[in-house]
Amino acid sequence: MAEPALALRDLVKTFGATRALDGANLVVERGTVHGLIGQNGAGKSTIIKILGGLYKADGGTIAINGKPLAHVSPRAIEHLGVHIIHQEALLVPTFTVAEALFLGAEPGLGPLLSPRIMRKRAEEVIGRYFDVTLPRGALIGELSPAHRQIVQITRALLNRPSVLVFDEPTAALVRREANRLFGLIRRLRDEGTSIVYISHYLEEVQDLCDRVTILRNGRDVATVDPRDTPMPQIVSLMINRDIDDMFPKVPVPIGKPALTVQGLGRRGHFSDVDFTLHEGEILGLTGLVGSGAKDVLQAIFGLEPADQGSIITHGKQGAINSPASAIRRGLGLVPEDRRGQGIALDISVRENTTLASLGKLTRFGFISRRREGKAVAGLIARLGIKTPGPDARVRDLSGGNQQKVVLAKWLSADSDIYVLDEPTVAIDVAAKVEIYRLLGDLAQRGAAVLILSSDLLELQGICDRILVMYRGHVTHQLRPAETTPEAILAAATGAAAPAEKVAA
Amino acid sequence: MSSNLIAEQAPAFLDSSADLEDRETRRARHRSQIIRLGSIAALVAVFAYFGVAAPGFANLGNLANIVEQSTVLALLAFSMSIVVLGGGGDVIRGGIDLSLGANLGLCAAAFTVASNAGFSDPVAVAITLAVGAAVGLVNAFAVVALGVLPLLATLAVMNICGGAELVLTQNTVISANSPLLSYITGASWLGLSMTDWILVGAAILLIALVHGTRWGLRLQAVGGQRQAARAAGLRVSAYLTGTYVAAGLLAALAAIVQAARLSGSSPGSGDILLSVVLTSLMSVVFSRRLLPSIGGTLLSVLFIGGLINGFQLLNVSSYWVNGVQGVLILFVVAVRSLSLRRGSV
Repeated sequence: MAEPALALRDLVKTFGATRALDGANLVVERGTVHGLIGQNGAGKSTIIKILGGLYKADGGTIAINGKPLAHVSPRAIEHLGVHIIHQEALLVPTFTVAEALFLGAEPGLGPLLSPRIMRKRAEEVIGRYFDVTLPRGALIGELSPAHRQIVQITRALLNRPSVLVFDEPTAALVRREANRLFGLIRRLRDEGTSIVYISHYLEEVQDLCDRVTILRNGRDVATVDPRDTPMPQIVSLMINRDIDDMFPKVPVPIGKPALTVQGLGRRGHFSDVDFTLHEGEILGLTGLVGSGAKDVLQAIFGLEPADQGSIITHGKQGAINSPASAIRRGLGLVPEDRRGQGIALDISVRENTTLASLGKLTRFGFISRRREGKAVAGLIARLGIKTPGPDARVRDLSGGNQQKVVLAKWLSADSDIYVLDEPTVAIDVAAKVEIYRLLGDLAQRGAAVLILSSDLLELQGICDRILVMYRGHVTHQLRPAETTPEAILAAATGAAAPAEKVAA
Repeated sequence: MSSNLIAEQAPAFLDSSADLEDRETRRARHRSQIIRLGSIAALVAVFAYFGVAAPGFANLGNLANIVEQSTVLALLAFSMSIVVLGGGGDVIRGGIDLSLGANLGLCAAAFTVASNAGFSDPVAVAITLAVGAAVGLVNAFAVVALGVLPLLATLAVMNICGGAELVLTQNTVISANSPLLSYITGASWLGLSMTDWILVGAAILLIALVHGTRWGLRLQAVGGQRQAARAAGLRVSAYLTGTYVAAGLLAALAAIVQAARLSGSSPGSGDILLSVVLTSLMSVVFSRRLLPSIGGTLLSVLFIGGLINGFQLLNVSSYWVNGVQGVLILFVVAVRSLSLRRGSV
């Protein structure tokens, strides 16, 4: 049998007291697509950084095509034909596509560059692998994430790599673009390239990979053929926990109405939306993009106020035309773009937590450190936020923990109606489960939760009711116990006949 | 675990979103085009206004005069643009060389002192270039080897240069005269003085070097995305060192022109720094990439030079020029922050 294209054996790497890698192995056979999965912190990125020469391993060996590598540096491994496509595009934003493609090996006449030749060659090589024309003359910074990624992949392919590593390549792509990428990966594999594919999306891995190595706590716990390994088994290998625990739904008695919307509408987006959210209830809202589901959420929080209908919170009626008025009425929003809208990355966990509730913590206009400290410590403990301390920068926390900080902010502000917009996008399985548990916890304490999600399993797993929107109307109300992801999807795509009018 | 079934089933929408992204790309592009064309239009409008309103402005002799008066500023602004290109555009952490003005003063002093000490022109020039390059090396050492923020490192070096100049000149005006100095101011070719030709030559050479060669492209990569430059196998610290040394050499060249124009060295030449920063910042609005460029820097310098000249011809107090410069700085910085808000960088 031929030597493996890439063999990492017994890798050990410690950072201070933590053991990021504890004897991890990754052996990639020639001409295969090899998946590498694991929760955040399992060691995926550490392995890639060691392979890329960015970290130095404390122990273990790396062999490429059977040849052991004595010295690992970015240049050395590229020389041996291993190219890594990093998650964050390593491209100069002010460069043209051609310049970014050829940087370091620019075609030209002696020291002089020829923009024309470069552009022609760029179009030629991109056309060889992708069926797209990038906007002519556009700078990298002006391109969409998908187009930027095309440039990055082409850049790696210029060197005709024998091993190509993709680190979370589809995070920035919509489905159609992702499918194109998969087509390309299969083609490269068929041409003999060995591929390492790192992803959070298990269905992608199952679809695409010939082998999958599952990492847990810095060790490879298994390498399996994903096609004949059931998904629940893969997930349980990852999280060391049965998949039944994924949705820890605790039945909670439904209380009084907390939020009632009547005839809510915003011209051109949605109309006649009626529903009531009760204390202790988790209400799911879903729909295709453009169905108006997201707009309903934004109207309720006052980001894009409704122009028809009314919103009643705890029996009190009144317009919500700004986030401030929503907060006054006890609403808290966990936005989808948490980095952009949910938290301030560069200030501390403490400051983020009390941002919306400083009024309660001040004395004579000054923040009472003692009271603030107590409140924050309590929330960190209650939500199980993994942080080095209350003064750590939020930027340094994992995605799931950042999301918890957003929740802590509203808890601190005594919100009792939580509006969540795709709360589990781009966070790993374990963090998702913790968020679910937290939402259940909130409901148990009598809070009302409205969650917008396009993760059908999630909706079914944690909601008491699911509202489906289609073309600006709520067309279906489904009960998780009586529905399936397929039925939710049918409702959202309009494949199922809508009910006359749903007043939930 | 088929999580995002919905997305899978909605290809029609996703297609239109891809078009939308193309539109987004075009929009970003048009924005930079509008800024660029607007800036050029403003420059043309100002010159046209002076041409009509200010007697003698459009006169060829006067225009050559503007170029001549702009040469020292232009050489220093070129240096600044090169440093900013290599160090990155971040106002706080990016590349900047605050020592350029003081380096100019020190080099001018070095040239006059050397000249008065009896050294011939070639030797004096060599000494001056060596002083300028040495200052650049000190900057590079502080920034690259010690990792000091360029803003602070070059501020410290600015002080060192200022002190050294005082030591050399005892804070007095020193006059100098040499064949080279009189050649620079006196000789002319095709109606332009040697000072003008120095500017033209330096501009052409630097445009070719910075915007037409591999070296220039890689320099911009180092400034634009250091990680990407490293990943492309570039030796980042060599490029950074190169920018500061090149800036020092250009400052030395500017110093010789200055010594020729002032017939020696006089204290206070470091005051030029603000104009250097302004014109280099301003060059951004003339560039497709919203980056400093040599051509854009030249346009900015001529714009400012024309403004000062026009105001003089109109008998407007030169104090107004300060106000106008301030407004320009605000404008340019605002344009820059707006372009950064695009979020793509």
